[in-house]
Amino acid sequence: MISSLLRAPKLASRFSASRYPSSRIIAARFNSADHKINTNSFVYKYLEEGPKTVKYTAEHEWLAVFKDDTAFVGITKYASDALGDATFIELPEVGVTVEAGESIGSVESVKSASEIYSPVAGEILAINQNLESSPGLINEDPLGEAWIAQIKLSDPSVVESSEELLDVAEYDASLEDH
Amino acid sequence: MLRSISLISKRSNSSSSAALLKTPLYESHLALGGKMVPYAGFEMPVLYKDQSHIQSHNWVRANCGLFDVSHMLQHNFSGPSAKALLEKITPIDLASLPVNSSSLTVLLNNEGGIIDDCIITKHGEEQFYMVTNAGCREKDVKFIKQEISSLQGDLNHNTFEGTLLAVQGPKSKEILQKFVSDFDLNKLTFGQTKFNKFNSIIDSEVHIARSGYTGEDGFELSIASSNDVETKQAQDFFNLLISEYPEVVKPIGLAARDSLRLEAGMCLYGYELNESITPIEASLAWLIPKARRTPDLATFNGSSKILSQLSDRSLVSHQRVGITSKGPAPRDSSSKIFDKSGAEIGYITSGSPSPTLGGNVAQGYVKRGSHKSGTEIDIEIRGKKRPGVISKMPFVPNNFFRG
Repeated sequence: MISSLLRAPKLASRFSASRYPSSRIIAARFNSADHKINTNSFVYKYLEEGPKTVKYTAEHEWLAVFKDDTAFVGITKYASDALGDATFIELPEVGVTVEAGESIGSVESVKSASEIYSPVAGEILAINQNLESSPGLINEDPLGEAWIAQIKLSDPSVVESSEELLDVAEYDASLEDH
Repeated sequence: MLRSISLISKRSNSSSSAALLKTPLYESHLALGGKMVPYAGFEMPVLYKDQSHIQSHNWVRANCGLFDVSHMLQHNFSGPSAKALLEKITPIDLASLPVNSSSLTVLLNNEGGIIDDCIITKHGEEQFYMVTNAGCREKDVKFIKQEISSLQGDLNHNTFEGTLLAVQGPKSKEILQKFVSDFDLNKLTFGQTKFNKFNSIIDSEVHIARSGYTGEDGFELSIASSNDVETKQAQDFFNLLISEYPEVVKPIGLAARDSLRLEAGMCLYGYELNESITPIEASLAWLIPKARRTPDLATFNGSSKILSQLSDRSLVSHQRVGITSKGPAPRDSSSKIFDKSGAEIGYITSGSPSPTLGGNVAQGYVKRGSHKSGTEIDIEIRGKKRPGVISKMPFVPNNFFRG
């Protein structure tokens, strides 16, 4: 989301609006198990065998890629905990084509707002309209029922080649820096 | 995300490199699982464990919340010239303020700009008590000292710290009354104050002010904490309120304080108010009482500018307004305000989703002419214009106890 290594300084002044810093202790509570997709969720069950690959970004998005070259995008538990109670989630429009790193919406809480960036290029196939009526889902099940969008990947090979996409161990390690 | 949030905190807490101060209730905050953050030079709780921001917020609207506001600076003024000094540095009318009553007012510079907002209580014709913001501590003290030396009158000014506890919410009176057996707290209406004993728990008399920064009924308690025994008693009282009445009383941090005061339409210094904004521009004309609007009695700093703005509002270019909207919330001055023809007319000063009302509430400054309630505007949020409406404040009706 907004703490991209590259974008952070610019976004900090423009986008984040919290007057109070989040606790830096949060990261210590996390381990790899916290970053796993909820196996009971719609996302996991989209195709019978579950996602082919799950990747993460330094900005706290997750990407669950399926063998039909579509991927679900959401935010990690770390991000949803840091945001607090979500009050509003802005979703992208179905049919729109996005670039990797392009904003596809935002998650708002009482204390702050964060952009959601698409981890990959592609076309928005579906959006999770449940989030419009129940933004709190993002706090309850960020890695499952609170998926944000499904994207048809323009180039499926980037999932393995991109250095911006982290595996679970790399993502977990990145939290140590916070 | 966290990276950016901590950058913001550095901006708003310039003293972060210095050692942070602790209030007398610091240990209690830790014991209660308070998440501590630097704020105005102090380490203050922003949230407590097992309560989300929205839960804390709603708790205060329905029950009773305790806010540690000990970081604010307390002042005593006494002596024959105390009144003259306070009526020079603020527009308050002390002659008509009854003894043991308080009023919100503002410290003014010579251009009518607001140095700080504060509460002044009259304890006697020559005795006054004032509470100012923590973040303005150094400049306030310097300003007051300068004003005292140029006044050359006979007065004493001292500042002190102690335990300052804001007890807020509709159940505040019923809880505090359990500790005060010799006085009916409903004899204090909004703005009135009294020194009274808190049964056997606190040896010294507590200064009790019926007041509120959340829009709810409540009290501000000033409890002496100048030595270990006093500090221990203040801590014990704070802990006891929470442990004895867990169904009613919870500690509340800075996060909910901000969303509550915003819903109540109240200003936060450094956001809605600063040294280049006059009380008239801040829509606080009511802070200049009638008695101080005549040229011979308008002896306060910046009075010529303030009186001319009062009599001719066209001299006010931008004015503070309330704004409501749906969707992404406006948050800060990065959000510009436009009229429906696309012309830029102002900016947001603070805003957030409203847990009480749903949707978003915000404050900002817009050009006079566009300031009327019901005016439709656009607010730029993250590069995109979103519709909003100029709206009356308070957004959530206040619930002060007026007897």
